[in-house]
Amino acid sequence: MKLSLMRTRLRARMARWIRKRQGPDSLPLTLARRRLYILPTRTGVGFCLLLVLMLVAGLNYANSIALFLTFLLTGFTLVTMHQCHRNLLGAQLVGATAQPTFAQRDGTLSLAFENSSAVARFQIAAGVGDAPTIPADLPANGFGRVELSVPAPKRGIVQVDRLHLITTHPFGLFRAWTWVHAPIEMLVYPRPHGLLPMPADYGNKSGERSLINAGADEWLGLRPFRDGDSPRQVDWKAYARDAPLLVKEYSAAGAELRIFDFATLGKLGTEAQLEQLARWIVDAESNGERYGLKLPNRFIKPDHGAEHRHHCLAALALVGLEDTSRGEASSH
Amino acid sequence: MAKPPVIDGSRRGLDWAAIAFVAGVLLNIDRVPVWTPIAALIFVVWRLMAASRSLRLPGTPLRSVLALALVAGVAVRFHTLNGLSAGTALLLLMGGVKLLETRTQRDQFIVVGAAVFLLLAACLDRQNIVRAPLYLLHAWLCCAALAVVSYMPSASSTATRLGFDNRAALVLAARSLVFSLPLAILLFVFFPRLPGAFWAIPRSDEALTGLSDTMSPGSISQLTTSYEVAFRAHFEGSPPPPQERYWRGPVLHEFDGYTWKRTARSLARMEPLQYLGPEYHYRIALEPSAQRWWFSLDTVTGSPGPKAFFTYDYQLVSSEPVTETTNYTLVSHTSTRATVQLSQQSRRYDTRLPNDRNPKSRELAIKMRNSEGSDGAYVSAVLNYFRTGGFEYTLTPPRLGFNSVDDFIFNTRLGFCGHYASAFVSMMRAAGIPARVVTGYLGGEWNPIGRYFIVRQSDAHSWAEVWLEGRGWTRIDPTAVVEPERLNRGILDLLPNAVSAPARFVWRQPWLSSLLQRWDAINTWWNDRVVKFSYDDQLRLLERLGFTSPGAQELGWAFGAGLVGWLLWIAWHVGRSGTRVRPDRLARSYMALCRKLDRAGLTRQTHQGPIAFAGDLLQQRPDLEPVHSLLQRYSELRYGRPEPGAAAKVRDFERAVSRLTVSARA
Repeated sequence: MKLSLMRTRLRARMARWIRKRQGPDSLPLTLARRRLYILPTRTGVGFCLLLVLMLVAGLNYANSIALFLTFLLTGFTLVTMHQCHRNLLGAQLVGATAQPTFAQRDGTLSLAFENSSAVARFQIAAGVGDAPTIPADLPANGFGRVELSVPAPKRGIVQVDRLHLITTHPFGLFRAWTWVHAPIEMLVYPRPHGLLPMPADYGNKSGERSLINAGADEWLGLRPFRDGDSPRQVDWKAYARDAPLLVKEYSAAGAELRIFDFATLGKLGTEAQLEQLARWIVDAESNGERYGLKLPNRFIKPDHGAEHRHHCLAALALVGLEDTSRGEASSH
Repeated sequence: MAKPPVIDGSRRGLDWAAIAFVAGVLLNIDRVPVWTPIAALIFVVWRLMAASRSLRLPGTPLRSVLALALVAGVAVRFHTLNGLSAGTALLLLMGGVKLLETRTQRDQFIVVGAAVFLLLAACLDRQNIVRAPLYLLHAWLCCAALAVVSYMPSASSTATRLGFDNRAALVLAARSLVFSLPLAILLFVFFPRLPGAFWAIPRSDEALTGLSDTMSPGSISQLTTSYEVAFRAHFEGSPPPPQERYWRGPVLHEFDGYTWKRTARSLARMEPLQYLGPEYHYRIALEPSAQRWWFSLDTVTGSPGPKAFFTYDYQLVSSEPVTETTNYTLVSHTSTRATVQLSQQSRRYDTRLPNDRNPKSRELAIKMRNSEGSDGAYVSAVLNYFRTGGFEYTLTPPRLGFNSVDDFIFNTRLGFCGHYASAFVSMMRAAGIPARVVTGYLGGEWNPIGRYFIVRQSDAHSWAEVWLEGRGWTRIDPTAVVEPERLNRGILDLLPNAVSAPARFVWRQPWLSSLLQRWDAINTWWNDRVVKFSYDDQLRLLERLGFTSPGAQELGWAFGAGLVGWLLWIAWHVGRSGTRVRPDRLARSYMALCRKLDRAGLTRQTHQGPIAFAGDLLQQRPDLEPVHSLLQRYSELRYGRPEPGAAAKVRDFERAVSRLTVSARA
């Protein structure tokens, strides 16, 4: 117990020291010699022990062939060390983009690597912090991508503190790695949650329409499933026929115009209010309705479409965090 | 260090671990009881079938029982688990059991490790030149297996199609091994060797052929059917003539009437000798015999070195049984003269005969001695008796009775060298002349390619040494009297039916025997220069490289310099392949164009290709139509179908880019 605590502390200290040593990074980033670290893996240590044993046996029995093979494999080990180092050296991390996600789901951080050398780089693995890594292969003069899942426990902005790039290729005897401290952020929308009915159609005084009826409007067609779409709109029959997940979309023509007001949900408490608003936005968007959003210090004019949906959800995500003045939130 | 996550091994990794392991099993297949490789191979097949889901893997209880049963099996078969053969068998079986439970990447690495271990076992067992390429091949396979096992195909990676296939793994492993070759040679030459062993593995009790320390009639003729090499002799300068090529081995003194034995007289004094005739300098590479005899050309002058000693009768005895090829350098004379009288004790000892045996021959001896004037004349008379008495030289003589000498001289008269030597020495002793039987080899085949003699077991011989007043111990070969050709020709020539059929076949095909001589010369070179490369050879090599009076320090310096050189070379070579490729002309001028636009505040985003960038530009700055068309041209040149005259178009593009000016604002 105590040991693991010590270990954690040591790791944290190490991480701090490395951050200080390397300084902040910005993308695109070329992995330079100065920031690469290399140590033998467990397999490598085992292999070295095997070599020591072969050496002792070879010396003891004055066995030239065993000695020669020992020396050959010793050389091989040193060569693989260089190869492992080279595999990471000069690789470029050209992009790190995190798609916004909903709270309590895992978001996806997509890393793009470029290899501008004439030799392919295999098994460049990446991970967030100390999480397990996922490998990618980069062809010579080509690109590669890794998609990492980043947990998003609550709405707001998740800062990806540091990335871990690591390779044990080609022979698994050495591990070359580096840490990247680039400002990577992932926007986390509030979880769409809540059972309150949507407020009445703003332009139509005739009263509330149920969600179910709302779906019975003019049929527009199918579009690919997007995060946050209600399962009710999914074309399950098509899915059963091996089609991708598709969502039935309905026309916005002559459709409702709704204004979702934060203030009307006052009784619930901020987070629940935001979750309910998110629910409505997601549903209204997939119903093809036009909707606007009214927040305490902000009004987003009614509109529809993926971009509008993102603006609304982003605004929700940043409620109360706006003093940090994130780009997306304040621009409209 | 945090515990690394358990990673499931890939299917391809499993296949390769199995390949490396099977190759290791095959290297050792002929040195372990036949059921062990079979069991190991069954485990491999079992595991691979389980991987393709046609068979279930055994559970932990069954595996444990299996492992224990196999260990017990090895223990019962070898009566020990210590020893090369037993250890190899055990490694083979346990590697197989390990393979059965292989699931994770780590397990696969362990199986590859076992394969490397099997390579070591094979090396310790045999170092033939024929097997060396196999060992290299196996090392290569193991390295490739490491590469494949460590490669984890990724599900999320977009570039999996690119693949690190088997071929890539093999090529990479081969390249890496070639890179390490200079270091291997450097270390091989300069890494200090040890003079002796820390400990010894008990060797398996292989039956080796060779002369023993007893001789009875017929014992040597068993040996002569063997075509195996006893030793090779390399002479500095001219070799001795055929009649002097007596390779001296065990000297036998005690006779019970049938069998001759060595003596336990360790306290006897060596008689000082005067050496006559030419000096022969030579080196012997003795093949393993499990005995302690070192063979030498007749009488050795000077010290044989620390590993062997002289007995009082000038026989060389090794301090350890010869279990591997042993080299030693000697100086010999084939003719000597004693400078002192034979001690009374020795005289008594070497004239002893069993009282109750061979009465007729003893009677004959006394009669013949009495009719001759001197010991020398008596020796000639006995030899003459053998020559004219109807004696015949044969490898298949009839069996001799209780009075073996009498039986031979008066009844059968058919015999081999052992019969003649035994009868002759017996006759000498009966007449009161000190005499002893010497066993060893006679002759040898000259290998003109390697310039050495190959002495085979079929050259085994025995002769007599007789003490003559004024001369001392004198070599007398009664066989040579009966069959003078024996001196010039091998047994194979004289008695072709005596040897085994394959040897006879080889002997009758001149082209084949010349081929075999060539092959033997290569093997000898391999054994001398590679297998037996020692500390002394290291120093000699340094001396030849120009280091005067080299020692450990020079060895260290030479080694260090070489190591640093190699490291630099590797770093440079491996690093070079990792550097960026210089962009071609088209790319360079495209980059120049982008730089110009960048200075004007129009920056291409990293993710934008030329077309997307052009679209962006057109939106922001409609006035930059020429730039837009330049980007289109670049895109066509770069990604379009290659056309004749492309080089000229690239030059045009270059020129257009260099002429272009971009204003900062519209």
